Amino acid sequence: MTGEVIYEIKNASKRYGSVVALDGASLKIHAGEVVGLVGDNGAGKSTLVKVLSGAHQPDGGQMFLDGKEVRWDSPRQALESGVETLYQDSGLAPHLTVSQNVFLGREITMKGILGWFGFLNKKKMEYDAHRDLEAVGIAVPASNRAVSQLSGGQRQAVAIGRAVAWAKKVIILDEPTNHLGARQAGEVLNIIRNAKAKGLGVIFISHTLPHVLEVTDRIVVLRLGRIVKDAPTSEFNGDTLIGTITGTIQTIKVEGD
Amino acid sequence: MSDSKQATAGIKEQAAWRSKANSLLQNQTVLLAVTLLALGLFFNWGSGGMFLDLGTLGTVLDDWGAYILLAVGMTFVVITGGIDLSVGSTVSLSSVVAGWVMVGPMHADLSITGSAANPYLLLATFICLGVGLLVGAVNAFLINVFKIVPFIATLATMGAAAGMAIIISGGMPLQGPNNFDLGLDWKIGDFQLPISTTVAVVMVITIIAGLFLHKSRFGLYTYALGSNAFATRGAGISPEKQILKVYLLSGGMAGLAGAYAYIRLGAGSPSNGMGMELYAIAATVIGGASLMGGVGRIFAVALGTLVLFVVQSGLLMMQVVEVSPDLKQVIVAILIAAAVAVQTLQNKNGRR
Amino acid sequence: MKRTTRVVAATAAAALALAGVAAATTPATAASKLKIAFVMGAESDPFFQAMKVGAQAEATAENVDLIWQGDASHYDVATEVPIVENVIAQKPDGLVLIPTDPTGLQAANDKAIAAGIAVANVDTHVGDLSKVITFITGDNGDGGAKAADAIAAKIGYKKGGSYQVVVGLTSATATTNVGRLNGFKAQVAKKYPGIVIKDVAYSASNPQTANSNVKNWLAKYPKLNGIFAIDGTNASGAAAALQAKHLTGKIALVGYDAYPANVALIKAGVFTALIAQDPAAEARLAIKTLVAYIQNKTKPAKRDVVIPNVALTAKTSSADLAKYTYVASK
Repeated sequence: MTGEVIYEIKNASKRYGSVVALDGASLKIHAGEVVGLVGDNGAGKSTLVKVLSGAHQPDGGQMFLDGKEVRWDSPRQALESGVETLYQDSGLAPHLTVSQNVFLGREITMKGILGWFGFLNKKKMEYDAHRDLEAVGIAVPASNRAVSQLSGGQRQAVAIGRAVAWAKKVIILDEPTNHLGARQAGEVLNIIRNAKAKGLGVIFISHTLPHVLEVTDRIVVLRLGRIVKDAPTSEFNGDTLIGTITGTIQTIKVEGD
Repeated sequence: MSDSKQATAGIKEQAAWRSKANSLLQNQTVLLAVTLLALGLFFNWGSGGMFLDLGTLGTVLDDWGAYILLAVGMTFVVITGGIDLSVGSTVSLSSVVAGWVMVGPMHADLSITGSAANPYLLLATFICLGVGLLVGAVNAFLINVFKIVPFIATLATMGAAAGMAIIISGGMPLQGPNNFDLGLDWKIGDFQLPISTTVAVVMVITIIAGLFLHKSRFGLYTYALGSNAFATRGAGISPEKQILKVYLLSGGMAGLAGAYAYIRLGAGSPSNGMGMELYAIAATVIGGASLMGGVGRIFAVALGTLVLFVVQSGLLMMQVVEVSPDLKQVIVAILIAAAVAVQTLQNKNGRR
Repeated sequence: MKRTTRVVAATAAAALALAGVAAATTPATAASKLKIAFVMGAESDPFFQAMKVGAQAEATAENVDLIWQGDASHYDVATEVPIVENVIAQKPDGLVLIPTDPTGLQAANDKAIAAGIAVANVDTHVGDLSKVITFITGDNGDGGAKAADAIAAKIGYKKGGSYQVVVGLTSATATTNVGRLNGFKAQVAKKYPGIVIKDVAYSASNPQTANSNVKNWLAKYPKLNGIFAIDGTNASGAAAALQAKHLTGKIALVGYDAYPANVALIKAGVFTALIAQDPAAEARLAIKTLVAYIQNKTKPAKRDVVIPNVALTAKTSSADLAKYTYVASK
């Protein structure tokens, strides 16, 4: 079901001043695999996300994409290499249209001199945005509607759809089901399954443990900057997962795969 | 294929939305245009038929030209969620530097007139543009590197630029060649148009700026930054670069407004830009730009600026009821408040 | 009219002479160099720039340390009061104060006096002048009257005629504006009843606004005879407007303040006249009087001294033009 290791981080550490945010974390993501990343507040999840997405550089450790060692100097580099990230609650620019958001940072320009000046091919972007969102299983709102006119669920669908449509290798989703109703969250989980079917490696960060249990293949638990458990989702139930996160269940470190 | 069918349906839906969105947008512009027309007719009545006269309209357009340059730059800045308080002082400083170059190194004075003065005019324009870009670069530097909020950063450069203008000029206007002959008389047949060459150039600049804001990648990033800076960074766009470009634009436009003032008055004076930043901000807001960022359109701002100066000139021209200058100030203030209130209500109704 | 000027000038000269004698007879005490502070309204105003030139020259001549202070561009009570407080803390021997407001600066003025500092007021004054050594000012009312005379002469005023003029102001509250406008109105009422002041407008210190105001007036009053531009900003804006509309020389334009740029426009025929003040002389006299008082308690013969304005026209000698033209300080 899952393929080759597509993205790997080895022994990564990160400190902010005297605070150790990440302490020797190692993690592998396979093509076509959904990995759940869970942990209490301050466990190091968001630091790990920032390191994986290229927003921050780790102090120590290595990263490999498709077996080749990589180092991100900026999120842009990670994006261009095929690692997409959807940050918590901040995926879209509300004043821009759906298509402008989908193409933000990757606009299609006109041909010739106008293109050289950065003039945009609006028609093509609207058409393509619609097509691409549809392809990843989203009931698409009109491409030229401002995102501020969409419902919360529609916005999140567009944000995830955008990330999935662009991702070539890995997609990192930080709390994508936050603030969503049950039906809308279900739609988001479906998009995640689509991404998995597309062969992407998916990292799913969430506080909503039932969603994690429902959609992931494997769960990685972070506590105090360390990975304390890395096991197939089938090994967990709700109680053991909570216990592992809070530390009431003692863990031995398990290497994934 | 069902795919293409769905796509067609989607496009139809898009078209419907587009017409709705357009009608909404036009509402704003149409409202300003109707206001403008009503004000024009009212002041024409109030002035005993003297307002809709080519001379008066020429004066209104002269003022429009001075302020739209600032308002265009301000629109970009305001859309990013920032503000540029330094533009008025930049007008003063850039025109003073141009005047200083004329009086000092160039030894050019009033005796140079006609087409012989044109190279000096061009030189002055480039000097002003350069000074404006420099102030813009300092603003961007303060905002990007020291993370100072735009209000404070540009307040600081506002004071610094005003001070430098005084130091360079000794507080007095510096006069260079001021009798230009651009060789264009703006006539259609025997009909004299109420525009000058400088105003025509400003109109072209405004249109080009509008195209860039609404049609280009630069414009899109400007909106994106004001709408959601975090998402903009997440999309791989550098907010710092965009801030730099936008404040350079605003500074450059203010520099051009300095050249405009220099050409208009024939002198670089440290008071040439006095208080202009406030009217530029007012014009931008009357034109529907939101100080919260993410919203603003150049055409509407151009109309908003026109409304402001139609009122300024119109009140002075009133004869049916003489409006005292004190009352004039009050009326202008009320109009600005009313315009903003209308825009806000419209946004509320439109955006839901 | 002429006689008043002469009396005032004589008074000024007397004061100068007295102060000069006093200074000369005082043995110079090398040990304690006098320190005199000068707090003015706004550095940006060429009027104060010219004043600074006079103050610096006199301070050098009298071997006095000059502390020159004022806001960069705001002529405002709120900015001036803390500046005065700061200056008092530096314990100068004398203070030349240009109060931006008669009541707002009274307390700061009196605090300086209570601290043993000899205080002079220049240009404008605090409400209660009783403990101030001297108050020296240019005569704004007289300047306004001279402007009326210059306009009347240019338009060829005749009894029974009807003439239209407008006045460009900076704001309703600037005290110099008020003084000049009142002087102008009084002279018109007294000597030129055929002149009607049709309108006034504010420039808010921006010459571009002044420029638009004049252009609009030219459209509104096709029979306009004259313009009184009440300060340098209005003068610059009005001059550019008349040039743009090709009306130079056809409409009487009387401006204020002798900026070099505007003095050049007298010769070009744009200005009928420029009313000039002599801020440098005001500053020189103030410092001279304070030094005399501090060194041997000589008070001036008359506390209030008025230095008259002059009207500069195309007929003014180039020596006089040079004398009154504002010079920037270094």
